[in-house]
Formats: sequence, structure tokens, C-alpha cells
Amino acid sequence: MSSLYDRLGGAKAVDAAVDLFYRKVLADGRIARFFDGVNMEEQIAKQRSFLTMAFGGPNKYSGKDMREAHKRLVAKGLNDSHVDAVIEDLSSTLRQLGVGEKEVSEVAALANSVRNDVLGR
Amino acid sequence: MALLTYREAVIDIESGEDVLSALLRAEVDARHSCRAGVCQSCLHRAVEGQPPPAAQEGLSDAQKSLGYFLACLCRPETPLTIVPAQEAGDRFEVSVQAIDRLAGDVIRLRLEHGPDFSYRPGQFIELIAEDGLGRHYSLASHPEEDSFIELHVRLYPGGRMSGLIAERLAPGRKMHVAGPLGTCIYEGIDPDQPMCLVGSGTGLAPLVGILRDAWRRGHRGSIRLYHGVREPEGLYLHDQLEALASERANFSYVACALSAASPEGGDVAQAVLERENALADTAFFLCGGERLVTRLKRELYMKGASLKQLRSDAFVPAPYQRRGERRPCLQPLPR
Repeated sequence: MSSLYDRLGGAKAVDAAVDLFYRKVLADGRIARFFDGVNMEEQIAKQRSFLTMAFGGPNKYSGKDMREAHKRLVAKGLNDSHVDAVIEDLSSTLRQLGVGEKEVSEVAALANSVRNDVLGR
Repeated sequence: MALLTYREAVIDIESGEDVLSALLRAEVDARHSCRAGVCQSCLHRAVEGQPPPAAQEGLSDAQKSLGYFLACLCRPETPLTIVPAQEAGDRFEVSVQAIDRLAGDVIRLRLEHGPDFSYRPGQFIELIAEDGLGRHYSLASHPEEDSFIELHVRLYPGGRMSGLIAERLAPGRKMHVAGPLGTCIYEGIDPDQPMCLVGSGTGLAPLVGILRDAWRRGHRGSIRLYHGVREPEGLYLHDQLEALASERANFSYVACALSAASPEGGDVAQAVLERENALADTAFFLCGGERLVTRLKRELYMKGASLKQLRSDAFVPAPYQRRGERRPCLQPLPR
């Protein structure tokens, strides 16, 4: 059976999802404040990396990088409820793109696998 | 010729090796992170040679056409000379052809250049004076229609480059330019797609080049050009743009001056947000002050514009400019 990344459509799926996903995140009152004042271009590159990882694509995500990148946000109060919100936004993005429930839960599980690193635990 | 040259240094690269690994092995401090073609932090630009298509995966059409590539995915088969993405590259000698005042504080500078210098309309250059002083300016000219390059310079009281241009520059004077830089060009656009060009102050300069390029390349879709300034005097191409709008059915020009006394009153960002519809299908070009560009880009995106179709070029004041990265804001931001 082909990999999750191939089933989703690879880099093209990341391209299609990033527009919808980042817009949902910025419009999500639960988490929008963590993106105040960030540079949109830099954020989009980061969202692409995140989506590639969550889609099971090629990546070199390391726990250390994740901790380092979110340290400032954890200090601002980032917690489990915010990670839940991101995973929810990601799942609804995929559903909107017509991705099947099986793949949606596989992506959610991959995104969830970095939860402890993101929250610095 | 060597397979890989970085700036002026020949870099040893093994057969099948990627450019990033070769640079790091040669102790070049190249930015990188994922090493898998995703994060795009190892973006470089080929100033000579053509990078393999596999190294341009995921880049915009503009970046592809301008030779940008990801070093971690690049296994060159033909010789390449590369520089980091934000670096201007070679310098070229230019000679001042004409200096004219377009408005109270906007000067049009035309420079003659040699055959080696080439660019795409909408890009920018670093203009370098004799003492090494460098500032970024957008190109308002078209390489196939003009024999010169044209810059619109906003004069800043006390600005070093402004002072030099306004007071000491004369036709015949030699200067240098480095570049070109920037990816805000007519590329990756459908000929029938609506286009929306928004410029504040001398942010109009690149838009003039892009507009001419769009027509030259057979663009058929509607084009709306918004020019935002503080005072009506700042609408420095008003008559020409009005004339074009009456000649061309598919082109409209919206002048927005902030001052209360102006008949064309209003905030340019507000005008764009009120008038533009079909955001998801429109190709946007946003040029000018950083605050305006950032605000408009975010609002248009949130209302449905596609990230790929939001091209922008934000001007940053000279003191905050990192060499080769961005251009000085040559106009104070509207309040």
C-alpha cells in the first residue's frame, strides 16, 4: 500500500492545504493571538514544513527544533487546548479538500505525535 | 568550467552530491534547516546556468523563471554560478541619462546601461554611489521597450542618496547598480485573470513596469491600478494613467489621496478592500510602505485571496535595511 503522503497527493496536497489551513488558524479566536505580528512569508514556509510532516512526507523535524521554536509561545500560555485547536483546524481543512476519514485520522495522529515537543514536556 | 561556483569561489562538488552539502563541506555558512526541500531556507539563485527542474519544486513561477532553486535538492549536471537568494550579485556601470522632477518630491532618474545588465519589469536594483552608498529602487522601465532603466526616487529631507540625486547628479555621471532582485513580476498569471495593482507613493514605479509587461505579454483580463498618496500632488502619473484608462476598456485607475482637501479622497487599502471582489481569482501586486503592504496582504488573504497570487514588495526605511534584502521606504507611511 502506498504511503500516506502519496495517498494524499504529495507536495501538491501541501500546496492546496496551506492556503486553507493557515487562513483557518489565523481566523481561529482560540489561537490567533499566537500569530500576532509574525511575518506571513516566514509563517507560510513553517506551515508548509508542518503540513509535510503531518502528511507523512519527507522532513527532518526534530524534537529539539520543535521545543526551541515554541518556547516563546509556551511562555505566553500555549497549552493542550491550543494544540487541539490546531489539529481540529487541520482536520477540517482536509475534509474540505475531500480527504477520507481514514487519512484525516492518520494525519491527526502524526500532528499529535509532536504535541509534547511543542509544549516543551 | 567548474560545475559549481559560489559567488567567485569554485566549490568542489562530488558526482551526485547536492549543492547544500557541497557548500557546507566547503565551510560556506549556508542557511538551511530541513534538508528535504520543504522549509525553503536554503533558497539560492543561479546567476549563470540553469538549475535542474527538480531543484525548483514548490517554488513560485516567478522564482523558477528567475533562476531560484533549493540547494538541498540541487544536483547540478551543467555549470552553475550561484549566490544566496537575497544577494544582489554582480555590479554594472551605468551612466545618468536624465533627471526630471515628476512631482514636488519625486524624481525620475533614467540611467543608461550596458548589454550585460538584464531584468524583468517589477524587479529592483541597488543603486550605488561613488562613496559606496547603496539604496534600493524599483525599476519602472521595460527592458524590451526602453533603452534606459528608470527609477522613481522619493526625496527625503536629509536623506543621503536623495540629496546626492537632487543636488549633485548630472547627466553623464557614472554610477553602479547591483542586481536585479525581487520576484514581484508578471509570471504565473493566466492571460484572462483579473489583476489588481496597488502602490503607495513611489510603489507606483514597479507597477508601471508590470502593467506594460502584462500588455506586452498579451494579458486580456481586467487590470485595476490603485495609487495611494498623502497629498494629491503625489499622484505623479495621474494624467498619463487617466489617459490610459480612457483608451483601454479593460484598464481602470483609482487615485487615492489621504488629505481631506482632495477630491480623490481616501485610504488606498480601504478602497481596494471595498472595490475588489473575486479575490480568490485575482492576481495581486502590492508595492510600497511596509505597513500598508503587510496590512493589505493579510486582509486580502483572510478574505479569500490565494497566497500564490499575493505578490508584494514592501519598502523599508534605509536604516533598517539589511543589504540586499529589502529596499528603503522612500515615502513616509500614511497615517
